[in-house]
Amino acid sequence: MYQIGHISKKLNISADTLRYYEKIELLPAISRNSSGIRQYSDYDISLIKFIKRAQRMKFSLDEISHLLDFRKSPISAQPQVRQMANEKLVETAIQIQELTTLKNELQLLVNLCTGDKDHCPILNGFEEK
Amino acid sequence: MPKILTIELISTFSCQRCQTARNFLKQVVEKFSAQQVLYKEVSVLEQIDYVVSLGVLNTPAIAINGKLIFRSIPTKKQLYTEIDKQLQGDMKCIK
Repeated sequence: MYQIGHISKKLNISADTLRYYEKIELLPAISRNSSGIRQYSDYDISLIKFIKRAQRMKFSLDEISHLLDFRKSPISAQPQVRQMANEKLVETAIQIQELTTLKNELQLLVNLCTGDKDHCPILNGFEEK
Repeated sequence: MPKILTIELISTFSCQRCQTARNFLKQVVEKFSAQQVLYKEVSVLEQIDYVVSLGVLNTPAIAINGKLIFRSIPTKKQLYTEIDKQLQGDMKCIK
């Protein structure tokens, strides 16, 4: 079990944001110790990581809330939620493809630049044009 | 009518190994008629989207008919083997 300061540092998310997620019930109520201090479990950490990943993919908090319900019980999910999850899956696959293309392009440019000790052929190419 | 085999050298202008590959490829392509093998050069800077879509990560690289075949300069034997394989593939289709 971990306290909020530890989670905040480990996951790079402010304590205020963690409290906010709990307030809007995006996160379930976090268990507390006898002094009333929040104690985050590994399951809570897993949920927070999921929220962060989904936010990076530009999902709204409302969409994330539905996805978390789906994550908890995919078998009994409402058809609309299942459809939303499928749509997000397609969107995510497209983003992965675009990021992969960008990664490959950058890798090619990096490889070409380190190929010559004296100068970068890419920069020279732009100068001469 | 068999299609022409297009061999593309993917290169950058200041790449020393690209010059070696260029000379090597021209020597090999000369052995074939223009109706069989066509040689083209693709500049990474000018066609970067195409080059990335081929899967090229470094130069020189060689594509044949729009598919990356060699990620570095092959031996003459390797290149002749690949050209023959692709040309014979065309002949099988004609039958």
